[in-house]
Amino acid sequence: MIRYVQQVEALVRKDLLLELRTWDRLSAMGAFAVLVAVLFHYAVDRTLIHPRELAAGLIWLTIVFGGILGLGRTFALEEEDGAIQGILTSPVPKDAVFLAKVTGNFVLLGLLVLLILFVFGLFFQVGLGGNPFALFGVLSLGVLGFTALGTLYSGVTVRSRMGETLLPVLVFPLLVPMVVFGVRGTSLLFAGVSGAEVEGSLRILGSFSLVALLAGAFLFRFVVED
Amino acid sequence: MSSPPARPAEGPSRESPAEGERTSSLEAHALVRAFGPIRAVDGVSFELLPGELLTVFGPNGAGKSTLLNLLAGALQPSEGEIRMGGRLRSHGEVEWRQQVGILSHQTFLYGHLTAEENLRFYGRLFGVDQIEDRIHERLSAVEMDHRKDDLVRTFSRGMRQRLSLARALLHDPAIVLLDEPYTGLDVHAAALLRDLLSSLKDGRRTVVLVTHDLTQGLDLADRVAIQVRGRFEFFGSSVELPSGPPDAFYRSVVEGVLGGAGGAP
Ligand SMILES: Nc1ncnc2c1ncn2[C@@H]1O[C@H](COP(=O)(O)OP(=O)(O)OP(=O)(O)O)[C@@H](O)[C@H]1O
Ligand SMILES: [Mg+2]
Repeated sequence: MIRYVQQVEALVRKDLLLELRTWDRLSAMGAFAVLVAVLFHYAVDRTLIHPRELAAGLIWLTIVFGGILGLGRTFALEEEDGAIQGILTSPVPKDAVFLAKVTGNFVLLGLLVLLILFVFGLFFQVGLGGNPFALFGVLSLGVLGFTALGTLYSGVTVRSRMGETLLPVLVFPLLVPMVVFGVRGTSLLFAGVSGAEVEGSLRILGSFSLVALLAGAFLFRFVVED
Repeated sequence: MSSPPARPAEGPSRESPAEGERTSSLEAHALVRAFGPIRAVDGVSFELLPGELLTVFGPNGAGKSTLLNLLAGALQPSEGEIRMGGRLRSHGEVEWRQQVGILSHQTFLYGHLTAEENLRFYGRLFGVDQIEDRIHERLSAVEMDHRKDDLVRTFSRGMRQRLSLARALLHDPAIVLLDEPYTGLDVHAAALLRDLLSSLKDGRRTVVLVTHDLTQGLDLADRVAIQVRGRFEFFGSSVELPSGPPDAFYRSVVEGVLGGAGGAP
């Protein structure tokens, strides 16, 4: 068990160190999020609608579109000189590799979400609502499930002929529950309701993430083994 | 030299009684790996004792790398079984990989990490004790300690190969698999590798070496195999090789299967 944690830790540290050195994925996701927020800003007709009413939905779409950019490149850094083979020939269980990849991706997407909240705060005049803890709960539970699914499928698409272009096609249909309840919870919290009123959304997002994590940890071996 | 008959793949050989008493260290039985219609490894059987070094020769595409990947635990066999010290690979994949070190065609190194960071990463995955001492020791053995803080992407081909060798041996594996380890090495590094290989023959370890260089391959070999189209067309102890130039024998075995298209090893 200690061994398992050490291996996950080594994998996560390596991924984050590589990201810190290259800024490959963070810069791509960050630039995308900022540009999309600007475009959304101009796409909303302010004479008809107050931008805050749309903010929750647009925030989630930006998370999904921006996040998939980074998730799609989860294994790109391993392809370099067969490094993934190096991991697969080391005594690391496949589920540990999966959990490590999810952890690293979750950190990156967490930073993306903070950036998105900041940018939408500027362009759509939304704050953290009256209950920031519940807001972070909704966002992190939703993003965790999304990260788990995106990580699993990026393992599938990295080997397919179509590569990353296939990823959204596979992942987006599975994100419907996350988007529905993520948007519902977020817009309620922006409107200033108490944490108790989003408990239902939190519970569903939590189950969604748990199922995605368990399924991913179990299925990942079939993705990388041949 | 009269053309010797190509010997078909043999089952585990137990010629001398002294050997028969020791448990085999690495053993394959009727091993097959297919990629779609291609049987890259096609019914390979052999048995190696602790301390033995097997050299596998064979033309391009013979399935040598595929065989090593099967032995490393990176590929699943389509048929057949592999054992280490009598234990089946399928009975503990993680424990199996803990005992194996592989140097493959690819270096498995991250260009954006330094030499030392790469080794530390792999050392942690393998749970290596006293990791810093071990890294230092391995880097000196391949004479790379002066570049330990440089990013691997700034290394030359041969330097990467040296570092990859250090990575493969970092956790002191009982089974060492080397796929064309001499590639990219200069004369000095090749001599280093030769010394390293002979130091690996300490009686505890089993080494499988794949190479196209007959002289380097036969140098330290206890057992020799010639793999053609997935099969071991020759497998025997290096002293059983017929006298005469080894390349003539190699060619006769390969041409016996491919019919004149054998070419260089
Ligand atoms: N991942 C793969 N998918 C499909 N076919 C493969 C794969 N890996 C190997 N093969 C096929 O298996 C056969 C053996 O390949 P392998 O790499 O084991 O040969 P080799 O003996 O190592 O050759 P070389 O001397 O060129 O390194 C080849 O026909 C190759 O095309
Ligand atoms: Mg090869």
